[in-house]
Amino acid sequence: MNQTISSTSDKAASILEGEDIILKVRDLHTYFYTDIGVARALNGVNFDIPRGKVMGMVGESGCGKSVTALSIMRMVTKPGRIVQGDIALFRKKKGGENDKSQIIEEINLTKLEGMGPVMRSIRGAEMSMIFQEPMTSLNPSYTIGDQIMEAILLHQGVDKVEAEKRAINILDGVGMANPALVVKRYPHELSGGMRQRAMISLALSCTPSILFADEPTTALDVTTEAQILDLMRDLQGRINMTIIFITHNLGVVAQMCDYVTVMYLGRVVEQATVDDTFYNPKHPYTSSLLRSIPHVGSRQKERLMPIRGVVPDPYSAIKGCPFHPRCSQVMRGKCDAQVPGLTVVGKSHTVRCFLYSDTVEEASNVR
Amino acid sequence: MLNYIFRRIGYMLVTLAIISVVGYLIVELPPGSYVEFEIQRLRQQGGNLSQDQITALELRYGLNDPIYVRFWKWISGFVRGDFGESFQYRQEVKDLIGQRLMFTISISIFSLLLAWGIAVPLGVYSATHRYTLPDYIITVLQFLGLSIPSFLVALVLMVFAQRTLGQQVGGLFSDQYQTAPWSVAKFIDLLAHLWIPIVVIAFGSTAGLSRIMRANLLDVLGMQYVQTARSKGLTENVVIWKHAVRNAMHPLIMILGGSLPGIISGETVLAIVMNIPTVGPMYFTAQLNQDLYLAASFLMFLSILGVLGNLLADIALAWVDPRIRYE
Ligand SMILES: Nc1ncnc2c1ncn2[C@@H]1O[C@H](COP(=O)(O)OP(=O)(O)OP(=O)(O)O)[C@@H](O)[C@H]1O
Ligand SMILES: [Mg+2]
Repeated sequence: MNQTISSTSDKAASILEGEDIILKVRDLHTYFYTDIGVARALNGVNFDIPRGKVMGMVGESGCGKSVTALSIMRMVTKPGRIVQGDIALFRKKKGGENDKSQIIEEINLTKLEGMGPVMRSIRGAEMSMIFQEPMTSLNPSYTIGDQIMEAILLHQGVDKVEAEKRAINILDGVGMANPALVVKRYPHELSGGMRQRAMISLALSCTPSILFADEPTTALDVTTEAQILDLMRDLQGRINMTIIFITHNLGVVAQMCDYVTVMYLGRVVEQATVDDTFYNPKHPYTSSLLRSIPHVGSRQKERLMPIRGVVPDPYSAIKGCPFHPRCSQVMRGKCDAQVPGLTVVGKSHTVRCFLYSDTVEEASNVR
Repeated sequence: MLNYIFRRIGYMLVTLAIISVVGYLIVELPPGSYVEFEIQRLRQQGGNLSQDQITALELRYGLNDPIYVRFWKWISGFVRGDFGESFQYRQEVKDLIGQRLMFTISISIFSLLLAWGIAVPLGVYSATHRYTLPDYIITVLQFLGLSIPSFLVALVLMVFAQRTLGQQVGGLFSDQYQTAPWSVAKFIDLLAHLWIPIVVIAFGSTAGLSRIMRANLLDVLGMQYVQTARSKGLTENVVIWKHAVRNAMHPLIMILGGSLPGIISGETVLAIVMNIPTVGPMYFTAQLNQDLYLAASFLMFLSILGVLGNLLADIALAWVDPRIRYE
């Protein structure tokens, strides 16, 4: 079980200074082999996730945020497949009862069978996910209680009575009114906000160390959204959970996150602290993303700037930097020829852009 | 849930009441009746019926009563278990149809079980192995199954059973059991005779059912809650069978409710081909001969079966889908 991460890990020892890294993703490629061609959803994703922090993940629709989360959870199903890359999970193993020391064990998730026993014991227990659509992410045929208890019974070796008690406790903890009644309810009897709270309870039922929250509040009204964000922040602080927070809402990023990863067309183009992302963005894509949203204090006359062009489809490979066809600072002969490599531009701040260095990404050996 | 079931039973009774009226009218509708027909026949044979005898017959069958009185006599007898007498056979309807009904019901149930037992796993397998060789092979077989007529399958199986297995085909029992009392050996003999119709009837529906199962399961497998189930760390088997298949069953259960009448009429052709005493052939001749009480009783029993099938399907649907339970 103790596979060490392949040679790629040395190349990019963590650039997040002073952080204890819990997840290291290197050169991750996930493709979907569909009828109309191969969709290259992830094209060499690299990033580190610091333990106990909230990492925001932003980027236009279709850039591969959800697929990244699903790949790490090893839940990409046919016709999709991880074709290359390493995902290292650094899990803390408690010593004995009295032993306060913690051993950190490294597991390469890509080497595990996606549906195999080791991965299944990690999924739901140490890593879990809140999905994009609260209305459809619960099974209509089972009660809320049954669905939450299923994970508890699977991972925590307790009996039904205890599992139900825990389920009610968790629901109570996420601010669900009347939790003892709600466990007996079916999803269609709950409102969208209640369902999302139920989904959060399900994801938190085994106190995971990593939580992927895929646009957890998009479908909700502003008040409910604020409550749920508060709740997540609160829980995160209490159990020192690591959250990967996927969203389109940069306001929410500013409010929730410690770090931000910016993705474009299946790659990470910039990773930085939340302050650097907003006040010192390096990549032209990050800058235009920031300019495309309204922000508090912006003058009425100031026009929003949509990013010109559209996201290219993931079926056709683009030569050079994936953003160059839409980039306002494109350098002909350079950006359209080679893929920029990872450049450290500041404390915990990396970017892939030829404006900052000439490092070239070494050719990937994936067809 | 109980509320729901009671409501369904209420609907069922109303449906049956309507069917009894319409059914009786239809059987009575053609001009003339079996009694007039019979009187004529006896006269032609030279038998001399006295006016007294004719009046006695007319009185007995209430031929001079208005239709609603006759209907009332029949239906009130029917609910008390007195189904009247067959003109043609000169026997109590009760004695005529009891056993036939039992064979029809057992052939239907066994063939449904067989069809479902094959169709559901087959559909699940091909949906979870989409675009692999086994899926393609299953698809080809399904289209063959949909396009081959069932009487042809029956003939092929009969020849096979007789030539290769040396079985006596047709009828229900081998000669030595024909009049023997019920025993395990007799039951096995019955099964040996019934397997061909069961397989033939199941054959026709298996192909269609498994196509539907495959299509529905593919839809459900794309649902977010299937990913939720995976994200808990459940095994793929639990994800498929507990979380996906259950939600893909609705259309199949709905088909089940409506499939009994179809099976019974399909069975009629088969029963005539194979000389099996099910209700189909007898119902058919009863209708032809205007054998009023026999035909009307058949009609009622078949309707009761159909409506019961629907009730069971409704209950099953409510069991798999809580949204229906509370509607
Ligand atoms: N099951 C699938 N089959 C084929 N292609 C897929 C599949 N799932 C994802 N993709 C492709 O992968 C790419 C990335 O999708 P992903 O869902 O990760 O986007 P996203 O960043 O989460 O977008 P959004 O913000 O809209 O949720 C898309 O271009 C999509 O076409
Ligand atoms: Mg997404």
